[in-house]
Amino acid sequence: MVKKQKVQFRIQRFNPDIDDEPTYVTFEVPYSDRQGVLDALHYIFQNLDSTLAYRWNCRTGQCGSCAININGIPGLACRTVVDPLQKYILEPLSNFPIIRDLVVDLGPGFRRLEKLRPYLERTSAPDRPEKLTREEISAAMELRSCIECFSCYAACPAVASAKQEFSGPIAMRELASFEFDPRDQGDRVQLAVTSGLYDCTSCGMCKEVCIPKHIDTRRTAIEGLRALAVEREMGPLEGHQGFIKQIESTGYAVDVKSPPLTDQLPDVIEVDDPVDEVLFYPGCLINLRIQQVGLNVVEVLKRNKVRVHIPKDFVCCTSVAFRTGARSIASEMVIRNTDYFRKLGVNKVVGLCPGCMSTIKQDWPIVLHEKDKPPYDFEPFDINEYLVDQLGFERFNKQDLKPLPIRVVYHDPCHLNRHQGISEEPRKLLRLIPEIDFIDVEDSDRCCGAGGGVRAGRRELSQEIAGIKYDILSEVKPDVIATSCSFCFIQLVDVVKSSNSNIKVMNITDLLAASYRGESLK
Amino acid sequence: MTFEIIDTDVLIVGAGGAGCRAAIASSETNLDITVITKDILGKAHTVMAEGGINAALANLDPDDLCEIHGRDTCSAGAFLNNQNLVEILVEDAPKRVYDLENFGAIFSRTPDGLIMQRPFGHQTYRRTCYAGDRTGHEVLSTLTEELRKREINIIDEVFATSLLTNKNRVVGVSVVDIRTGNFKVFRAPAVIMAAGGAGRIYDVTTNAQADVGSGYAMAYKAGVELIDMEQFQFHPTGAAIPPAARGRLVTEGVRGEGGILLNKDGERFMKRYNPRSMELAGRDEVARSIATEIREGRGTKNEAVYLDVSFLPTKIIEERLPTMLEDFLDIGIDIRNEPMEVTPTAHHVMGGIKIDALTATNLPGLYAAGEVAGGVHGGNRLGGNALAAGQVFGEIAGSSAAKYASTARSPSLDRKAINEEYERVMDSLNRENGLSPIKELKQLQRVMWDRAGLFRNEQDLNAALRFINGHQKQVTSQLAVQNKATRYNTEWINALELLDMLLVAEMFVRSALLRKESRGAHYRTDYPSLDNKNWFTNIVVSKQNGKMLLQTTPVVVTKWHPPWA
Repeated sequence: MVKKQKVQFRIQRFNPDIDDEPTYVTFEVPYSDRQGVLDALHYIFQNLDSTLAYRWNCRTGQCGSCAININGIPGLACRTVVDPLQKYILEPLSNFPIIRDLVVDLGPGFRRLEKLRPYLERTSAPDRPEKLTREEISAAMELRSCIECFSCYAACPAVASAKQEFSGPIAMRELASFEFDPRDQGDRVQLAVTSGLYDCTSCGMCKEVCIPKHIDTRRTAIEGLRALAVEREMGPLEGHQGFIKQIESTGYAVDVKSPPLTDQLPDVIEVDDPVDEVLFYPGCLINLRIQQVGLNVVEVLKRNKVRVHIPKDFVCCTSVAFRTGARSIASEMVIRNTDYFRKLGVNKVVGLCPGCMSTIKQDWPIVLHEKDKPPYDFEPFDINEYLVDQLGFERFNKQDLKPLPIRVVYHDPCHLNRHQGISEEPRKLLRLIPEIDFIDVEDSDRCCGAGGGVRAGRRELSQEIAGIKYDILSEVKPDVIATSCSFCFIQLVDVVKSSNSNIKVMNITDLLAASYRGESLK
Repeated sequence: MTFEIIDTDVLIVGAGGAGCRAAIASSETNLDITVITKDILGKAHTVMAEGGINAALANLDPDDLCEIHGRDTCSAGAFLNNQNLVEILVEDAPKRVYDLENFGAIFSRTPDGLIMQRPFGHQTYRRTCYAGDRTGHEVLSTLTEELRKREINIIDEVFATSLLTNKNRVVGVSVVDIRTGNFKVFRAPAVIMAAGGAGRIYDVTTNAQADVGSGYAMAYKAGVELIDMEQFQFHPTGAAIPPAARGRLVTEGVRGEGGILLNKDGERFMKRYNPRSMELAGRDEVARSIATEIREGRGTKNEAVYLDVSFLPTKIIEERLPTMLEDFLDIGIDIRNEPMEVTPTAHHVMGGIKIDALTATNLPGLYAAGEVAGGVHGGNRLGGNALAAGQVFGEIAGSSAAKYASTARSPSLDRKAINEEYERVMDSLNRENGLSPIKELKQLQRVMWDRAGLFRNEQDLNAALRFINGHQKQVTSQLAVQNKATRYNTEWINALELLDMLLVAEMFVRSALLRKESRGAHYRTDYPSLDNKNWFTNIVVSKQNGKMLLQTTPVVVTKWHPPWA
């Protein structure tokens, strides 16, 4: 007889009446076809240990009772299918007091919601029947599908760090559901601003863990409310104003302190026997602050026989405007950029900064559509995506890479990983470098706190989130923290500096360029 | 022994659609209103209702009338319905739907911007108002918002153990606070029972964990009359896997869009049962056909049959069955390419606490609404009528109870009875060795599924009754909870639930034994036809001198006369 396959579940146990600290107990559960994590919990409760406390009710992803941390990420036990080849660690949701074992007290979360006047506000009831068009109600209807499982709240790095100041993604969703309801007369935007509307780093964890409902809280609720906050002159924050003004006056989000990258390079960088031709979109930071990063991108492209256009007259992608709600300035810049690129006539636009590239991929088409402009006629690529998937991993110039015997840990930029779905490509490139000691840490995709205007507008919160990330990354004692984002890059450089550490921060292309050049980074 | 007493004016047991609606109606007064719930506000079984809420708004079919809604309801119910209650249901339903809109609900709209209504089984017109495929969730989250607005006391995660009575009136409810394990007493002149259904009595069910039928058991123990307890609705298609979700509803829409049923040999077996209507035959007939295939060995290894839509254009599946597609994708089954496995599943208790037009019971001060109340649906419930009944009778219960509470004398507790209740509640927790509530519970669910489910006969029902009576004796004296923690002790709560479930099972089985005919959802293989001469009557269950007594009582007929009368 074949021995029945077993799956290991390591479960956090804690009874605050008698225990000082949580402990972990491992159970082995026989695997069965399409078994869910909730099935495993039932098996343990019914057959191995009836003292296990866990909460569940509907079993179908409609009540949100069974949300727990499954291998560190919040999810519904009833909707998570067990992979028999994996080991599981089950813990209670973070950011809540524990009642016992996997059961938390959601009370503090509910009380935050209750403070937001979470109900329809209208001065008088209308005559019945009331007419509402499908278009009018579609946004509110999507947001009303929330089942209050609080996974987003538990997963949110800003909630963990901002504590009482930020009511969390679920609260923003709640407020937006009324703000976008054509019947509601309450002022939800003011309440959102005072409840931490500008504390969101745009990391996108809230959507990632919203397994049953797929509510895009960051885009629909938070950015929607921020746009209204700007319209009603309640936003953006002081720290953002400078960037917005700077874009208005110069076309860039930052001022000129050193020669721009575009001035240091010719219009076109020629190579022998080019295999492809792209436009390199540097974005404001690479063009005006960290030019070497841009030079390294160009070097890597050159080493791979790619002919590179340098857009001398590009302007800001206006990611900062989209993220903070300053939409009016955004449209102008988008149109300027797209008209200009059309004139240059390139088919592929490559960039390193995922803030820029996700904005180009996701926000620009909406603006062009709103402004009745034709869609852009180029394909946008993140640099890693371009090198691995477009240029082709097979064709990639590996032979000229020289050994870099250093220990590297990778930080996933949220705008690259969650917003563009690119996480394998940078890792593949890193592993190409001979003798590199690449360590992939579990929380590599935790936010560094830079995005969503938080670095500019809520410096302290941003630094606290960065500090947590630094602790995770520095634990493995790396020589280099690698990433692929100009914004994460400067954030991580700052946190390394303030920690008096000699860890270097480098982008993937910086490392590739160093390897091509045969530099020693020790 | 000492215990905490919490005083309130109107106590509502249950925070589903009916309980929340009752709380809102009660809060129109200056009384102190308290809702206690076994789970957490907003997470009751109501959220799982997908289809909709019936109200004759005539938004799409201008000929629809409350009158026709009533006729459809009684005809589906095999005319066992209390027509006084049906009249109230159909006349109040439109008002209650508009109330929900006032509270903030957003229903799907017609192209003209009115509330959209879909056709539902056995209804003359398109009458079922809906919010996508999550109507129950929209209803309950709206009510939750309104409760928060009104700052009504909500006490989450307390398990009600018994109704407390004194001098022939209700005086409160005893509870275990699940989070601490503390025994407490809520003292109130008026109590509204809105504790929901009892699907969990069966092995396979669409119902949430909470639905074990404690409301029926509490009522019975307090001497309250219950009606139609033999009438239990089974839905033909519940998901067979994963195990934890066995019985989860697979909406009728799947068959409506053309899905076909196949046994393990790939045979489209409905052609043997109903070649004309095939998969779209009545719910009870399809359910019995599937059950027969499984019983006779033509089911899959998961005790199921196949429901297949994979031959339909992918686009149809994606556009018309998005929730089903996603639900199954989540467990690794792509219904665009492979069949689902389905089994009949226990769905709804038509019977329940006997109420009058004010939702009053025979126990002064006790009101009941929602699935726990009986008489509205008769022998079979129309899809969309459960959400409607919860809103309509919840509202009435709330205002009736408030009216009663504002004039009632303040209640005094019977301390001796409370001490006895405390002993009963603590018994299984205090016992060191004995029967496991978890194992006993599973056994009961299996016996009920096998012996008192879709197919019933004298022999099976008697076997079920022997099992129940035997176990009642054993478990009351031998149940032992291994988990001794007082905080969030599920095993202990299971033990208390098991005692309730045995009582409810006994009511189901005894009523089913008595009704020697097949009517509505009640199907007797030994009496397979309708017997209007002997059985056009309701069965009422109550406790008399410590024994379960069954009596028949004439059906209340007002407007809609059965074809045989």
